[in-house]
Amino acid sequence: MARIKGYPEALEAKLRDRYVYGDDSHPEFTENVEKISMSIPHLCYQCGTCTASCPSAPRSSYRIRKFVRRVVLGLENEALTDPDLWLCTTCYSCTDRCPRDIAPTDVIMAMRNLAFKRDIIPVNFLKTVQAIYTTGHGVPNNDVNRAARVKLGMDADPPTTHTYKEFIPGIQKILDYYKLKANADRIVKEREG
Amino acid sequence: MEAKHKYAFYLGCIAPNRYPGSEAAAIKTSKKLGIELVPLKGASCCPAPGAFGSIDLNVWYAMAARNLVLAEQMKMDIALLCNGCYKSIWEVNHKLKHNAELRDGVNEVLKTIDMEYKGSINVYHLAELLYDKNIVGVDKVRDSITNPLKGARIAVHYGCHLIKPRKDREFGDKELLDTEAPTWMEELVAALGATPVEYRQKMQCCGAGGGVRGYDIVHALDIANEKLINLKEVGVDALTDICPFCQLQFDRGQIEIEEKFGVKYNLPVLHFCELLGLAQGMSPQDLALDLHAISCEPFLQKVL
Repeated sequence: MARIKGYPEALEAKLRDRYVYGDDSHPEFTENVEKISMSIPHLCYQCGTCTASCPSAPRSSYRIRKFVRRVVLGLENEALTDPDLWLCTTCYSCTDRCPRDIAPTDVIMAMRNLAFKRDIIPVNFLKTVQAIYTTGHGVPNNDVNRAARVKLGMDADPPTTHTYKEFIPGIQKILDYYKLKANADRIVKEREG
Repeated sequence: MEAKHKYAFYLGCIAPNRYPGSEAAAIKTSKKLGIELVPLKGASCCPAPGAFGSIDLNVWYAMAARNLVLAEQMKMDIALLCNGCYKSIWEVNHKLKHNAELRDGVNEVLKTIDMEYKGSINVYHLAELLYDKNIVGVDKVRDSITNPLKGARIAVHYGCHLIKPRKDREFGDKELLDTEAPTWMEELVAALGATPVEYRQKMQCCGAGGGVRGYDIVHALDIANEKLINLKEVGVDALTDICPFCQLQFDRGQIEIEEKFGVKYNLPVLHFCELLGLAQGMSPQDLALDLHAISCEPFLQKVL
């Protein structure tokens, strides 16, 4: 067996050193992503199976492999400010095929969670929050559909929060617990006036 | 007659609020197959796994848990008809059952609305129940048909969130654990008397998920368009899915694809529950097929 100077201590120290330290590098970013995603991106050996499986890759500059590398290197700013972060359709093909058993999709979701903490988020996500806060539904009912439901012999509104509006305050309490509605309103207002 | 199997029917958003025929068909066709779907009163959006999961996973867990608690209070397992809802409702149920820290966190929030998640029920997709021999099974589906969809070439879009990620899923039928080239939906299509058709990149995503349809619609449509090109190559009379969001992406998406890319496909897109309804003798009116953006007429003329 090959021996290096200081083996095994030096090798073990090297193996422990998962992070590259630099001005742009934040080891706590790597740890946060791992905690939220419940996945272990630093196991990645950059084979690219994820990018090759990705339906968004052929039609954009989005590269899931690159995002996983950024996590490993702790490159928080570079990762969270890249608009490509929002091009993952969460199809989980990469997660199914990753030979290192990483869940790259969940790694992306964790980065999106961290981006939102810095107000980095496309407004369409926030508008879904606003719709659910008011109606309980991300895609609420409308008049054309109500008429069609009646024609089918159903109630105009489904037996959800649309009919049982007394459940809506409970939903609002959950969203307010996380200050989600207030943050959504504030960010939408900042962007759209 | 008391139905053999009873489930709390979780509706989600797009089926009841955009394609109510799927909801009607699910209730009616299930009844013929010994499944009673009981309304899950006061349920909300699952919530959308792409939108809510991207913002704050903790909110996603808590909101999905609220829907689960409603079914727990009814002492019933949940059945649903949308892959996106399955991702939220099944997966959060699974995570909370196996992760005490998450469960405690969720229950702390739920306490503020006098609810408690117990982990006492299971969650199923209707397609899974239809395929499961112990519940319905392909043979029973075939036996329930009065109007075989003879001569119709139908392709299947499985969608993503029912079966992927495979490592997390726990299906009784191992066929459902194949995410590369599954054929169990094709078996169900064949049971309706139609001819299932294979096509390139069958397992590719519709492009709508993860908030992408709202964030960059041209990008999302381009993914759907690739599938439509592959479907045109083999020639099909209809595309069937088991997810109303995929259905919306392929159905309304075709109108948007025509506007943005100048290509026209006129490919009818039907939820499997709608197809099953037709095959069990429901009329296009019973299914509100006129609400579809793409006319189902050419397909209906073939099968009715």
